[in-house]
Amino acid sequence: MYLTKEEEAILDGEKGYGFQKAMELLVAIGTVYDADRLVPISSAHLSGVSYKTIGDGGLDFLSDVSSDARVSVHTTLNPAGMDLIRWKEMGISNSFAQKQLEIIESYQRMGVEISCTCTPYLTTNVPHRGDTVAWAESSALSYVNSVIGARTNREGGPGALAAAIIGKTPHYGLHLDENRMPTVIIKADIGEGIFDHSLLGHAVGKIVSNGVPFFRGIRPSQDEIKTLAAAMAASGSIGIFYIEGVTPGADQYDLNKLEKIEIGKKEIQEVCESLNTGREPELIALGCPHLSIEEMKVLAKFLHSKKRKKDIDIWFCTSRFVKARCEKEVEILEKFGRVICDTCMVVAPIEARYSCTATNSAKACNYLPTLCSQKVVCADSIELLRMIT
Amino acid sequence: MILKGRGISRGRAEGNLVLIQSPFSFLGGIDTKTGSLLVPEEMKGRQIAGRVLVFPVGKGSTVGSYTILELKRAGNSPVAIVNEKAEPIVATGAVMAGLPLVDKIDLSLLRDGDYAIVDGNEGTVEIPGVVEKHVVSCILKKGDRILILKRSEKVGTFRGHWAGVSGFVEKGEMPLETAFKEIMEELGINNAKLVKTGTPLMIRSGEILWTIHPYLFNVDESRVTTDWEHTEYRWILPSELASYEIVPGLDNVISSLLASDRNRKSQNDSEY
Repeated sequence: MYLTKEEEAILDGEKGYGFQKAMELLVAIGTVYDADRLVPISSAHLSGVSYKTIGDGGLDFLSDVSSDARVSVHTTLNPAGMDLIRWKEMGISNSFAQKQLEIIESYQRMGVEISCTCTPYLTTNVPHRGDTVAWAESSALSYVNSVIGARTNREGGPGALAAAIIGKTPHYGLHLDENRMPTVIIKADIGEGIFDHSLLGHAVGKIVSNGVPFFRGIRPSQDEIKTLAAAMAASGSIGIFYIEGVTPGADQYDLNKLEKIEIGKKEIQEVCESLNTGREPELIALGCPHLSIEEMKVLAKFLHSKKRKKDIDIWFCTSRFVKARCEKEVEILEKFGRVICDTCMVVAPIEARYSCTATNSAKACNYLPTLCSQKVVCADSIELLRMIT
Repeated sequence: MILKGRGISRGRAEGNLVLIQSPFSFLGGIDTKTGSLLVPEEMKGRQIAGRVLVFPVGKGSTVGSYTILELKRAGNSPVAIVNEKAEPIVATGAVMAGLPLVDKIDLSLLRDGDYAIVDGNEGTVEIPGVVEKHVVSCILKKGDRILILKRSEKVGTFRGHWAGVSGFVEKGEMPLETAFKEIMEELGINNAKLVKTGTPLMIRSGEILWTIHPYLFNVDESRVTTDWEHTEYRWILPSELASYEIVPGLDNVISSLLASDRNRKSQNDSEY
């Protein structure tokens, strides 16, 4: 990979340890992928925040890098392992909280916005069409590639952090037109609603793996796209997709020769059955990805004037940004459970308290058994709330 | 011997190789608290701390990058990593933990337990205990038949095995000079026509790395005069090679020389 004189100097340590490590990371990743050079980015979004996933090794690394490095573009952060304010209510131990806060401090020192959400595109980090960015968080990067038409690879946490510090990313993969071409047409015949789109995403991710699907037959809302993208990126490794008449950029490609796959209600039902491994949830967790304002309103509208009849913990996971804009809804939801920010059911250490979790997110269902040792109940959010009302 | 690969993560370190033959994930593949392998089954319990860890390619969860950091923190990390093909999870972890990583190395040239010096800046893996020897392997062709010779009991290596015309490249000699010299000495032929120079082939045999320089020659005369190095010769069809006990690599030398010859011919055919 070609490096400018300035980039070479950073690699040789002229701007200090943190910048040098960041450049080493970009060079290693660029070399692995045969990138020709580094290109400037306009924003970054980082994963690798929860102490549960990055451990003491990650904590030390961030502490070392943050001793002298700062991010050079607007950079937001993925969910942490706990609500940074209400962690005690979540049953988080003091020692976990201590470590988690140290990690957050390191990011803060580097100038990262402590937004802690997987939906930064709904809050303060909104790229424009054609922007080159470096985003981790598989669901968010797929959303900005596909719906916004910005360009990012499927970055890992360290690669995205390195790009944020240097302000550049290696030029390969989804930054190149030829890798953004649709590879398969998905003819979908499913019901409306977030849950069906989540199941559709799970099915497509399994089938298409790392291809580029082009959807026909759906006209999803923003929230439906959000959950579709998340599920596909979790069951497969899909970083970009197209929806006919909804997302930009597919006009330039010839779709005639592509393979066509039909997915109907029967397939969706099968996915749902395959994800259900538990029966009696101890926790109902909604908000993977983080709940939008619209979703908060729908949930509050359903629960408004209802009475709580059964005692199951409920988490409504969202961003601080959304919570602040939903005061009325938060008031209603808090009568039934907790509106939790900065975290979610996947990256929080829920396995310490629960063994069976219910959710409406196929992405969460994909990770809960492995990352959180959970049995899973998978159903539409309203159906889940009916269990307690 | 020094193998040239590609430097992915910088730095230089040395240690004994722990060679895993299958794709490897640090997450779930290693006990971070003890530094011992959990997989593959036949290597379970092997210690990697202070060793050079070798595997073809990384696999599995991106959390694997942090597992490498965790190993480093616990003082149980390998000192360097060598891959056939590096991928971002291991590359990222190696850089963060400050471990040299070199890829594009032919793992068949390494042996479990070799003492190695890994240089991530130069992209090299050096095995000081292994010496490099360059030899030529000349295949003579007449019509559709090729010449093989049975090595006598007086030669230093591979006695009684069938080979092409072969010999050590002496110091200060170009391999092609060696080739012409050996054909003259061993067969008394001085008018062989060079048809093709093959890509050098590397073979590890014990503590020797043989670099074989393959050449294909055409000859007009099928009668040859062997010297003390050989006891017999035969003109065979390439397909008959399988029934002979041959020196290591001869089959690869022959198939590469003849295959590329055919490809070139068919390309020419299609042009006209």
